[in-house]
Amino acid sequence: MKKEKVTCKEVMRHICDTLGEDLQSDRCEDIRKHLEECSGCQNYFKTVEITIDYYKKYNVKLPDGAHERLMKFLDLEDCD
Amino acid sequence: MDDKELILKAQQGDKKALARLVKEYEQTIYNFAFKICRDKNKAEHIMQETFYSFVKSLHQFDGKSKLSTWLYRIVSNHCLMLARKMKNRPFVSMDDDDGLFEEKYAVDWTTLPYKSAENEELKKILDNAISKLSPEYRMVFLLRDVEGLSTEETAQVTELSVPAVKSRLHRARAFLRKELNEAFQG
Ligand SMILES: [Zn+2]
Repeated sequence: MKKEKVTCKEVMRHICDTLGEDLQSDRCEDIRKHLEECSGCQNYFKTVEITIDYYKKYNVKLPDGAHERLMKFLDLEDCD
Repeated sequence: MDDKELILKAQQGDKKALARLVKEYEQTIYNFAFKICRDKNKAEHIMQETFYSFVKSLHQFDGKSKLSTWLYRIVSNHCLMLARKMKNRPFVSMDDDDGLFEEKYAVDWTTLPYKSAENEELKKILDNAISKLSPEYRMVFLLRDVEGLSTEETAQVTELSVPAVKSRLHRARAFLRKELNEAFQG
């Protein structure tokens, strides 16, 4: 185990690894402390979450007629 | 009737049950295919091929995994096949991820005008950023973070080890965040 101070880069890596999921464990105590005090890393964490959220909310609807075309393609149009 | 009963009936040749299964999952599969290939025509084509494969291999489905996991696997394979066929564009290399974590905080995202992902300008930025990722990275990010599969399920679908899923996921997250940050600055 290295005893050096936690760096921002290390914290950012950790955020991308776990999204803060296991920040309660002892191993992550130093990271959690750093995160509490470093606004840069807090901002980083927030923006990773926003990134995921943007992609989650970006959805597309099945186009008109696509369902019918699919049923026809599968030879299921009379079972609909 | 739940999926299990529908599958059993479909396996016995009940076409109505089969049609119901297709209808239940077509939107999910289309949406996922679109998110991988970012093209509506290709997404519809992939959806059709996915369900065609599904119907053909239905008798092999043993119910050990969820039907959705199984469908994700089929659709992922079709997406990858299509992507490999048109390997015309170079994707960003992820071999060295160190640069992904060098950060300047020039932009405060909370003040951005994009309140919803329905914003056309934001959609363009999102399309552009994810298009730079190779389909293999895209897949892991979309399955795990966007579709909400567990790490283990993502590994099952992509036929990767759990550590490989984790390492791809973390790079994809960092990369996309960095791309968006740069786009918002520009
Ligand atoms: Zn920091």
